[in-house]
Amino acid sequence: MSDVNYTEAFEELQRIVSEIEQGEISVDELSEKVKRAALLIKICKSKLATTEEDVNKILKELDNVSIDPNED
Amino acid sequence: MSQIENNKTIFSLLEVTTSIQKTINERYKSFFWVKAEMNKLNLYKQSGHCYPELVEKKNGKVVAQVKAVLWKDDFNRINNNFKHTLKESLKDGIKILFQARITFDPAHGLSLWITDIDPSYTLGDLEREKQETINRLKEEGIFYRNKTLKLPLLPQRIAIISVETSKGYADFIRVIDTNSWNYKFFYHLFPSLLQGDKVVQSISEQLKKIKSVRHHFDVVAIIRGGGGDVGLSCYNDYKLAKEIALFPMPVITGIGHATNETVTEMISFSNAITPTKLAEYLLQTFHNFSVPVQEAEKKLIDKSRRLLSEESTKFQSEVKLFRSMTENILSSNRNDLKSTTRSLLQHAQYLFKNEKEYLRSARVNIIRGTNTICNIAKQEIQNFAKAVRKDSYSQLNKFNLIVFQLREKLISRSGMQLKNSSLELNNIEKNIANMSPANVLKRGYSITRLNGRLVTSLSQVKSDDVIETTISEGNIISIVKSTNKTTDQ
Repeated sequence: MSDVNYTEAFEELQRIVSEIEQGEISVDELSEKVKRAALLIKICKSKLATTEEDVNKILKELDNVSIDPNED
Repeated sequence: MSQIENNKTIFSLLEVTTSIQKTINERYKSFFWVKAEMNKLNLYKQSGHCYPELVEKKNGKVVAQVKAVLWKDDFNRINNNFKHTLKESLKDGIKILFQARITFDPAHGLSLWITDIDPSYTLGDLEREKQETINRLKEEGIFYRNKTLKLPLLPQRIAIISVETSKGYADFIRVIDTNSWNYKFFYHLFPSLLQGDKVVQSISEQLKKIKSVRHHFDVVAIIRGGGGDVGLSCYNDYKLAKEIALFPMPVITGIGHATNETVTEMISFSNAITPTKLAEYLLQTFHNFSVPVQEAEKKLIDKSRRLLSEESTKFQSEVKLFRSMTENILSSNRNDLKSTTRSLLQHAQYLFKNEKEYLRSARVNIIRGTNTICNIAKQEIQNFAKAVRKDSYSQLNKFNLIVFQLREKLISRSGMQLKNSSLELNNIEKNIANMSPANVLKRGYSITRLNGRLVTSLSQVKSDDVIETTISEGNIISIVKSTNKTTDQ
């Protein structure tokens, strides 16, 4: 989808909205900005509904930690 | 009574305990105030009686320990006082100042019979302990440390410190798992005791674990619930509070009680009154993300539409303005033209009128002038004519005189001329008569004609021609016999 993480996507989206609210976007740029905003909205919405964490990975890491008592 | 057997005086246990009871009852007859730490309240729910464990510690070690009894009626009264003053019930692990009497029961042994507990002492003690923790954390500059951390926009991955079977845990995960907005959370439970003496140690261990896998998580949630208000003073523990304050991730708490906030809750990144509220807090952070995104979507659509419509309106009004301005300019030019035409016309008419007037007066002047000139000329001509006539008369007279003189002269001269000429004429007449053909013929000359034509050359006549010869008396008709040419002499 894009290399932008959701925090950046959110901030960029806010920027675009504020730009358009301040009337800083001309009709010429409008199409491009709206296209970009649509992508950012998609990124944000998808982040709200998905997570990529894996419990097994965490459990494995926790096992490794308990083997090494010196680790803080 | 005691028995003597093999030189030994032997008492039964009851005799001993009864003796102790007697001694104690004689020695300790009154009630007195005692301060101690109530390690355990030991409330028996069925009977309603309590059997508190009282201890005194020095440097963390128990140096005195006594059992106590608190009968149902006393407990209820005291507990009500506590609830009123401390906003919480009597509980384990608090320091109390109580009124008691030492009693001894042969079957149950020594105990302190508590008849009253002063809630303000406990309050003060707990408060002092809590205040000490707060002060130390502030002095070390770490009281607000956890609050200064940054919570990710979406705290989606939660390390939960709780008890799997607790109501609070169940409430928490139910709220975050079944939210109606389909927000997705990831969570993992790090089980820990949340009540009693071992809370501090247990939570610390789990925090250590979480720290080792912290890149998998956004936030730590300490969730306790269903345990009522009992045993919360451990959350005022300095060691635990410090560990949470210094934890490298935001720690949020939902410890679930109705009384004063504990230090742990104060220093945590965020605190909610119950696990449910804590879950709702997390949902709220999602809302805080989601709502602006939705609003952004709506605003973008609205603003884009408005922008486009504004541009269109602007354009139309420009067109309208342009048209009206052009019309204005045209109409003003037209008006200018009209008024110029009018003024030109007027001016021209004025000029024409002037010129006409001038011409008319010029014509009048010319006519008048011409008449004058004509009159003068006529006069001059008349004068001239008069003069001419006068001159002509005199000239004519002169001429008449000259003519008369000339006639006279002519008459005289012509008379002489006539005499001369008549004389001359007579001579000429004589000559002319001598020369006439009749006279000539008389002198012997004849005229020969052939066929009426004069014969002047021999060549005209050949032999046998009939010629007519005229002489003075008449004609001779002859026939030619021959011709011969006169030879020159």
